[in-house]
Amino acid sequence: MPIVVPGKRFGPRLQKSKIFGKGAHGKKGVFADLLITPLVDMFVIIVLFLIANFSATGEVLFMTKDIQLPTANNGDPIEMKPVVQVSKTAILVQGETVAQVADLGKDEYWNIPALEEKLRDEKKRLDVLHEGDKEGGFKGEVNIQADKEVEFSIIKRVMYSANQAGYFNLNFATLTGAGAPDKTASAATPGAPAAPAK
Amino acid sequence: MAGGMDLGTGGKGKKKPLDTAINLVPFIDLMAVTISFLIMTAVWTQISRLQVSQAGGPSQDTPPDDKALNLTLVVSERGYTINAQNAVYADIPKANGAYDTKGLDDKLKALHTNYPDQHQITVQSEDKVKYIDLVKVIDECVGNKLDAVSVSAVG
Repeated sequence: MPIVVPGKRFGPRLQKSKIFGKGAHGKKGVFADLLITPLVDMFVIIVLFLIANFSATGEVLFMTKDIQLPTANNGDPIEMKPVVQVSKTAILVQGETVAQVADLGKDEYWNIPALEEKLRDEKKRLDVLHEGDKEGGFKGEVNIQADKEVEFSIIKRVMYSANQAGYFNLNFATLTGAGAPDKTASAATPGAPAAPAK
Repeated sequence: MAGGMDLGTGGKGKKKPLDTAINLVPFIDLMAVTISFLIMTAVWTQISRLQVSQAGGPSQDTPPDDKALNLTLVVSERGYTINAQNAVYADIPKANGAYDTKGLDDKLKALHTNYPDQHQITVQSEDKVKYIDLVKVIDECVGNKLDAVSVSAVG
């Protein structure tokens, strides 16, 4: 049997037919123009979409799958503050584990010493960092990023420890609900007029 | 060629033709780089904050108001209880094992209508209450103009 070149081979009845093309006679040119206009259109749309979603603040909180945030509709835009993460198993400050939730049940005291100490360190660091800066200094605020299934008995101890360390204003981090009004526009623009006093 | 576009065919023969194609390659490069940057820096989850203060601690935003009602909202495993001036204002038990958030919303709306200047409220929670339920309560309070929320434990 002779060796043949791989490829389509029609039966002898159709070999002379032009139904499957003209065979070798109609070779297409090698140079074809690539249509760039739709590609550029698509790029422009993608860029516009991404710019609309762009946030100059960036990621304030480090999202992990261990912590599922609850949803709220009436929250304000989140700001950069020290973050206390409370998962079902551990308590972390700025990503560093300071206590295990299982160990907290053994103590009768409300405070968590390691958390308190870490928050005091953060406070000192912020004081040094913003020395002489009246507006950006330490205001006693902390972001609490807690899992929605965590019991208040744990939150209460975190709050108490924060209180002892000098953080009296707590920001509970939540996911923005679908029915939330858009408050990001005024917050993202520096120098934008503040919201009217309530 | 009066008023028409010069296609560069006539004249001295050294004129460059005007119908040149714009080189789109640098533009596409720029777009590709911009898209990569924006995708890397995009924030896909919108996170907000509910600001609360600790009952007993100083609050930076709202000075204590002497005329304000002493309003407390207790979240227990039984349901919600709103206390005003140490008397029960409304009791909202759980419905079918779930907190009656709609009922709470209605009561808070009525409260805001009766006391439009009231902004302070203390949310007291039992130990077994889950964080999601506490956040729902705070969210309802803030949504009904009770935005100076303090949180404390029951007792």
